[in-house]
Amino acid sequence: MKRSHINTPYLLSLSLSILCALIIGALILLVAGFNPIEAYGAIVEGAFGNGRHIGDFLEYAMVLCLCGLACVLAARVGIFNVGGEGQLILGAIVACQVGVWMKGQASWLVLLCAAIAAMAVGGIYAFLPGILKVKVKVNEVITTIMLNTVAVCLCQYLAKGPWKNPNKNMVAATDKLDAEYWLSSLIPGSKLSTAIFTAIILTLLVWYVMTKTSGGYEMKLTGQNPRFAFFSGIKTDRLILLCMVISGAMCGLVGMFRVYGAEHIYKSSISNDYYFEGLMIAMIAAYEPLPVVGLSVFFAILKIGADELQYIGIPSQIYQIIQAVVIFSMAAQSGILSWLKDRGQKKQARLAAQVRGGGKDA
Amino acid sequence: MHDLLSRIFSAATLNETLRTATPVALAAIGGAMTEHAGIMNIGMDGMILMGAFFGAYGSFLLGGGWLGLGLAVAIGILVGLLFALFVVKLKADEFIIGCALNTFAIGLTGFLSDSVFGYNGGKGMAALPKLRLSFLDHIPFLGKGLQGLSVLFYITLLLVLVLWLFVYRTPYGLHLRAAGEKPETLRTAGISPEKMKWIASILCGITCAIAGVYLSLGDLEGNFAKNMSNSRGYVAFACVIFGSANPAKAYLAALMFGFFGALGTCLQAYISPDLTAAIPYIITIIMMVYVVLRSQRRRRLSHRKEQVA
Amino acid sequence: MEEIAVRFDHVSMEFPGVLANDDISLSIRKGEVFALVGENGAGKSTLMHLLYGMHTPTNGEIWVKGERLTEYSPKAAIQRGIGMVHQHFMLVPSFSVAQNVVMSKEPRKFKLFYDWKAAEEKTRALSQEYGLSVDPSAIVGELSVGLQQRVEILKALYRGAELLILDEPTAVLTPQETTELFSVIRRVVREKGMTVILITHKLYEVKAISDRVGIMRKGRLIAVKDTASVTERELASLMVGRPVLYEELERSGQPGEIRLAAKDLTVYDNRGLTAVKKLSLSLRAGEILGIAAIEGNGQSELLEALTGLRSCASGSIGICGQQAANCTPGEIRAMGLAHIPEDRLATGVSKDASVAENLLVGRHKAPEFRGALGYQKQSSIARYAEGLFEKFDIRGAGIAVSAGSLSGGNLQKVVVARECSFDTPVLIISQPTRGVDVGAIEFIHKQIMDKRNEGTAILLCSADLDEVFRLSDRIITLYEGEITGEFTPNTIEKEELGYYMTGNRRKEAGAHEAITH
Repeated sequence: MKRSHINTPYLLSLSLSILCALIIGALILLVAGFNPIEAYGAIVEGAFGNGRHIGDFLEYAMVLCLCGLACVLAARVGIFNVGGEGQLILGAIVACQVGVWMKGQASWLVLLCAAIAAMAVGGIYAFLPGILKVKVKVNEVITTIMLNTVAVCLCQYLAKGPWKNPNKNMVAATDKLDAEYWLSSLIPGSKLSTAIFTAIILTLLVWYVMTKTSGGYEMKLTGQNPRFAFFSGIKTDRLILLCMVISGAMCGLVGMFRVYGAEHIYKSSISNDYYFEGLMIAMIAAYEPLPVVGLSVFFAILKIGADELQYIGIPSQIYQIIQAVVIFSMAAQSGILSWLKDRGQKKQARLAAQVRGGGKDA
Repeated sequence: MHDLLSRIFSAATLNETLRTATPVALAAIGGAMTEHAGIMNIGMDGMILMGAFFGAYGSFLLGGGWLGLGLAVAIGILVGLLFALFVVKLKADEFIIGCALNTFAIGLTGFLSDSVFGYNGGKGMAALPKLRLSFLDHIPFLGKGLQGLSVLFYITLLLVLVLWLFVYRTPYGLHLRAAGEKPETLRTAGISPEKMKWIASILCGITCAIAGVYLSLGDLEGNFAKNMSNSRGYVAFACVIFGSANPAKAYLAALMFGFFGALGTCLQAYISPDLTAAIPYIITIIMMVYVVLRSQRRRRLSHRKEQVA
Repeated sequence: MEEIAVRFDHVSMEFPGVLANDDISLSIRKGEVFALVGENGAGKSTLMHLLYGMHTPTNGEIWVKGERLTEYSPKAAIQRGIGMVHQHFMLVPSFSVAQNVVMSKEPRKFKLFYDWKAAEEKTRALSQEYGLSVDPSAIVGELSVGLQQRVEILKALYRGAELLILDEPTAVLTPQETTELFSVIRRVVREKGMTVILITHKLYEVKAISDRVGIMRKGRLIAVKDTASVTERELASLMVGRPVLYEELERSGQPGEIRLAAKDLTVYDNRGLTAVKKLSLSLRAGEILGIAAIEGNGQSELLEALTGLRSCASGSIGICGQQAANCTPGEIRAMGLAHIPEDRLATGVSKDASVAENLLVGRHKAPEFRGALGYQKQSSIARYAEGLFEKFDIRGAGIAVSAGSLSGGNLQKVVVARECSFDTPVLIISQPTRGVDVGAIEFIHKQIMDKRNEGTAILLCSADLDEVFRLSDRIITLYEGEITGEFTPNTIEKEELGYYMTGNRRKEAGAHEAITH
């Protein structure tokens, strides 16, 4: 069957967008008095320069990719999970606390319980807006945005209150995990851990389910035309809810990975709107799994590489500018195309009218 | 108990409520415009941040708080135009454009801040005046609560009134609401709904810019810190939803959010301020469910009634 | 000679792939009520949209009051005194009546503010002047449909309309509301000298209100008559009756056991109004039961209820002996029912999915297409889809392209192919050939007849009477959610059937009795 969205026009417009973003980024750098070639060189150097950075960007790419895929899963059936950020941090804090509570148990058991707990919390937290959408038709975008803030508040409370780390007076943080529960680091000094293997398996699984199975086929039909899917006998409500819950569970799991793989403690830096970044990636990837992977790696390289810019005196935020411009131009591409087409047609019509009018008058 | 109540309903609480509510309210009344025009505006956070930076930068560059405000508003208009260009003209998804705008604002203001002010942000530029009104000293409770508020607080009140009048008392307001609710009616009446959406975006850009200026030049001494909007755009969005896009109600919603924040400070000894801060969001969700259920029931009832009649 | 209000001069309108108006020349006299009748999709609304400036004609010219229209926009039309009441009302539900009426020409206070008092005053004055009583401060969304229509008319009058276009105004009205509307029309024509163009397909309304009538069919203007000089029967035959060009289809077999039975079925429409009233019908194996009805008389809701897309308020449905009322479409399909829906784009296909994916749905869980771990066997799916593609003579760029790229007729063949391939005991078919070219119509009809001859019980609903006549073994007419008669094709003329479809049972109850018994 067809290879839906990943085709030449898509790749072309993506390359154009990235090119456009790099040019705009270069212009801003120039105006600010920096040498763009030097800066871009430093980004590449920063990302690939040493093993630690390669590990860091791979870890970051993993987080973005899983967040993006979680968004894709829900969006495929036509429900938009904006609440991944909340699901992620709740998953993180619960997973971390499970590790603290189970101190002394075998590490495989702790990891398993933490993963299950994180997924359960994330799933439940996604179920709520899901059921409101399916049963009451309340806009899930708004409810999930609200629930994000509620989750942030809740985690702040837990990390400052009942689950507080007694050694950290000022910041909100939980107890640190015992080192035996840490997922082993793959590149010493970097944040990359064995979690990436699970992430790879998960990515392959999502890709497989979405593109190769009858379940993915039902999801696609439900997202494209829910009335048609329902007419054909697909239980659309249940499917939508299920995908939303799985999406939430995946976000929860990302939170667990962040804690057990990288940070080993819950604190507010566990996620810095990472889910939103993943969500934007999912959107410009047109909700296809493979471009999500590619774009995640690209943005991760950009981000980790840009961190190095500081050392040569260039503000690292240039990476966010470049990222935003890529998204702007990808989101607007169909609008630009139809606007150009429209203009062409109007021009033609005007010409035709002139010819006709001229004929009549003469 | 009495002690607690008096602490909650004190002039200090009022003062804090008003101070924290003002930037959120400013953004929310702008968000009410875009909401009326049928645009879900997630990008307010970015708009605020741009306003905060360019207010501070303007003040730093031109040496005056008011000049900073002027520059911020000019940039706010540009940001509103940019938003409308993508959402209205190029028909891009408003959600992704909002998200991208937020990222863009964080990136651009961070970049410029580092370039201009250095890594630790900017401090000490001329701020906007705070009003010390002598007659307020003679009013027992309110006077103390209202004393020493930024001039922007009063501008906010004025803007709420102006925008409320605009939406509900002028023909243009009618067109704005029609553009969001049923654009075809406008089109068949010979008015362009797109034009109203452009206007709404620009208005939102302006008020969000002022909200940002409040953060950088209004409340504290002039300063700019990276990402200082601190998700206020989302709070403003909640206020818009809560106030069903009515600028006056959105202002009240902002006061509610501010009050729950101030309440947290008062009740610190009893309950975590983080929990009290979450309450308004939960109320917003409950409100949304209630509104949907009510409108569904009302529609069913009215049609049944009609058939019986 | 009378004054001419509007003149269409060889007007054509072409949408991508459809010629909606084909070389129409027509003059409307000032001060007359002109009725425009025709089947669905005949191009009546399109013609009026051109007059109101919502589209620009691809060819030809329109003259209003002796001036050629140079700019096609609603604004220009309003300036020339043209008002239109759209089929789907152009009202803002949350606004008051007055706010809706004065929109775009609001009375102002201090040049800047909306003067709601003056607006309500003007609305009240206008409504009294024309006898359209409605409370100016009421919220439009809470008004009944009939009152909303009044607001629409008031809006047009407020804007200074001298020519009023009403697009199927009675489709949503109760009989009493219709009577009131007609008295308003008479009054504005008599007292104010207005011109009214009325789009409808209810023929008795044409007789009741219009001076002249234009009949449209397939984008062409077939005839213009003085209403007084034609009978409803003549109109019906002009409207529906092209002679049957097709040859007779071969029928074989006898009706068998009852496969589908509905009893006292009541169904509400989207607005919560009763669309189907205590309707009972039964369908046997090996027969085609045709439903003849004008759009909006409950047939869509009836079929949706039978197929599980809509819930039933009361009554029972039996499919092959199983209780099917208020089951999901999936459960009903499992009982042995397939369904070709009336609106293929909204319900029948997913435009963005490939042709193969559209052909597969419903059997995608069968073991020949689904392996272990839910794996879809692409090669056997492709083979299966290719098979159907060939068998049903679907023309397009193969099974891998998106369904949206197919033409209407071929898209319909995709739906027919899929639903017929289930080989279910019951088949429900709605508008099988709407917007389909002649060759495809013949093919689809043959498929349906083959199914009947194989012993499938078929319920057929179509706006095209020729189709109903050609295929059905029995025909029922439906009017306002009730069955107004049951006939066999060879005992009744098409014109007569059209007569029952337009709600004439009450008037001629005797004749109806005589025919059914």
